[in-house]
Parts: sequence; C-alpha cells; structure tokens
Amino acid sequence: MGPKLKRFLTAAAAIAGALAPMAARAQETAAGAATFRQDPVDYFGTRFLTAVIVVGMIAILISLFRYRGRLSGPLAWSLLLGGALLIPAVSSGLGTVLVFERAEHVEFCASCHLTMKGFIDDMEDPKSESLAAVHFKNHYIPDDQCYECHTSYGVFGTVEAKKEGMIDVYKYYTRTFKLPVHLRHPYPNGDCLKCHAGAVKWEAAHADFEKALFDGSSHCMDCHEGMGHPAHITTY
Amino acid sequence: MSKNVHHDPDAPEGQRMLIAAQILSLLALAAGLQFLWNTTGGTLFLFASVAPVLLAVAILMMLLVIIAKLRKRHSLFEFETFDPGEIVFRQGDVADCAYFVREGAVEVVQFTDGTEKVLAKLASGDLFGEMALVNSTPRNATVRAVSKTTLAVLGKQNFMTMLNLMPNTQEDIMRTVKERVMSRPVQ
Repeated sequence: MGPKLKRFLTAAAAIAGALAPMAARAQETAAGAATFRQDPVDYFGTRFLTAVIVVGMIAILISLFRYRGRLSGPLAWSLLLGGALLIPAVSSGLGTVLVFERAEHVEFCASCHLTMKGFIDDMEDPKSESLAAVHFKNHYIPDDQCYECHTSYGVFGTVEAKKEGMIDVYKYYTRTFKLPVHLRHPYPNGDCLKCHAGAVKWEAAHADFEKALFDGSSHCMDCHEGMGHPAHITTY
Repeated sequence: MSKNVHHDPDAPEGQRMLIAAQILSLLALAAGLQFLWNTTGGTLFLFASVAPVLLAVAILMMLLVIIAKLRKRHSLFEFETFDPGEIVFRQGDVADCAYFVREGAVEVVQFTDGTEKVLAKLASGDLFGEMALVNSTPRNATVRAVSKTTLAVLGKQNFMTMLNLMPNTQEDIMRTVKERVMSRPVQ
C-alpha cells in the first residue's frame, strides 16, 4: 500500500468515523428510540453504511479534482472503480435493507405530515380511545405500529405495502392526493386476526361470529367502523 | 480489418464521460447519505428509486470507456483521426499502444516546470509511443496533432508480439528508441 493511498484511507476513515455516529444519532433522535429496544440492523447498518458512503464520496472527489477523468495509473483506476462503481453498488445493496427497515417506523409514516399528522397525533394521544391509540399507549404493538396494522402478514404483504407506498410518495410530493385520505381497499380481516385470532379475550367476545370473520362473510369493520382512527382528523 | 474509429478513452470525450459518470455516482451516494440522515418518503424515494437509475447510467458510461480502453490495448492497426491541436496522449499517461502516422503530422512536447518544449515533429510513416511500451513506463511526453492526422494504432499486446516474431522489426524499433533517448535533452 502506497503512502498516498494510506493517507487517503486514514483521512477517509477519520471523516467517516466522525460522521457515522452523527448520522445515526440524527435518526435516533427523530425516532426517539429507546435504547432497550434498539434495532441492531438499524444501529450498526446506519453507522457502517454512512462510513462506506463517506469513503466513496471522498474517493470520487479526489479522483475528480486530481485526475479529471484520466486513467493514468493504478491509483486513478482504484479511485474510479472503488469510488464510483464498487462503493455505490455495495451501498445500494446494503441500503435496501435499511430502506425496508426504516419504512416500517412510525416516524417514516409521520414524515408525510400533510396527510398523516392527524392520524399520528391521535394515535400518540394518551387521552384518545381510538383503536390505534389504545394499541399504541398499551404497547399491544411495541414498535412500528402503523406498519403492523396496515400490512398483511408475510413477505407478500410487505411487498404490496412497499408498492402502494411508492404510489403514495409520488402522490404526496406531486400534491395529487385528496383529503381526507382513504384506504385503497376495505380493511382486511386478516390484519386484525393475524394477532387477535386465538386470543382468549377475543374468542370470548367474538365466539358468535368467529366463523363468519374467518370465511370473510363478515368484516371486523362492520362493527368497528370509524373506531380505528377518528374520521374527522384528516380534514384540514 | 482496420476501420475508422475515434474513441480514445483518454481524449476529452472519454474524460468527459468518466467525469459525468463520477458525478452521477456522487449524486447517488449523496441520496444515500440524505436518506440515512433524515428518512422521509422523499429521501427514501430518491435513494431507493432514483439513485439506482443514476448508478446504472454511471456504470454503463464507465463500462463504455473501459471497453474502449481495452479495445485500444488490443487493437491491430485501427485508425484514429485527430483534429489539429487535439491530444493523442499526455505525459504521465499509462501506455497501452503504439502509433504509426499514416497521414498528417504530430508534435511531441514535454512540460517541465510549467513550460512547454517541442521535442520533435513526426510525419507520415513515423512511429511513436513505442518507448513507454518497450520500457514499461508512463508516457514521457505529450503528443498532439499539428494538422488533420490519421494514426494507425497498434495495441501493446500486438506490438510486443510483433517485436518477438519479427527480429528485424525489433532491431529497427530498438534503434529508434535508442536514438530518441540519446536525443533527449539532459534534465
């Protein structure tokens, strides 16, 4: 390893080392994540990915300013291929894991504040008695409450949620959404039953129509309509 | 076998493509950093959807330049044309081929302490770029076209094979190398 490459790696590591915890903390502060519920994938993934990205950006900048697109020697090739090809490709791959991870957080849903703020405010309101608020304040669902209630079970549920989420992002940033926002499809029984089915308390209260709920001839929302989130809060 | 091509990766065209590719990669990485710093629907969309497209374009551009570079290294008398003032290669560049002047003229210039000195002018029938191949060193001078010039390019591999297979050629070329080394000014 040449002295120049050694100096570059030392400087890049120092900058990346300083920035990685800052980037991670910025997200954690926003997330208000309790340390005892820290997600190791997010915690280590964020730090590692920030370091990798910073190294890649420094490599590209050095290559741009020093070589200006010329491939004169092994260092020029290394900076080009490492900074502009290898590191972005690796970042993209690793980043996909964090994309899936972070898109499940409540804070992510709340970032579309024009449409979601009312729902989140209600859910986090200790005085609210909506289903969302009751699940939230009692920690019936410990984390990612929006995602847990609005995503069907299994990998296909996740993929479907991401696909529809991209459409939502497009509509949000192009301001083509309409208030109040509505679910695209009727709320599926499965999203309640994936947790409640089989629970003693639920069985006792739903014994008479359990079969109808399972075969889909009756819907949870037939009785609980409007209780999930207060209907008026999406109107500004 | 030979055809009229002009895709020197070290020429401004190739350089511009590599610079553009690096800027696209830089933007993709910046989108990643922004996503990590502040995850919202917008930053996630940029990182998960726009950045991969930027990266794919950047990789394609880099591949085109790298393929052109490899083709040149293995070229067997492909023709390249240069406009007056256009650079064939620069001092310090990695050498991957030798050139035969077919038409036109080039000048060999060397930069020392920021001043330019013309070492030689070469015309039709002359060979250049062989010294760095024989000695396995970077280019020791810059060569630029004086007039509209057509060069026949012989890749390094083929050049070295030619030297091994044709002893007479080897002697001629080594003599040329020797003459040029002897005629260079003492630094």
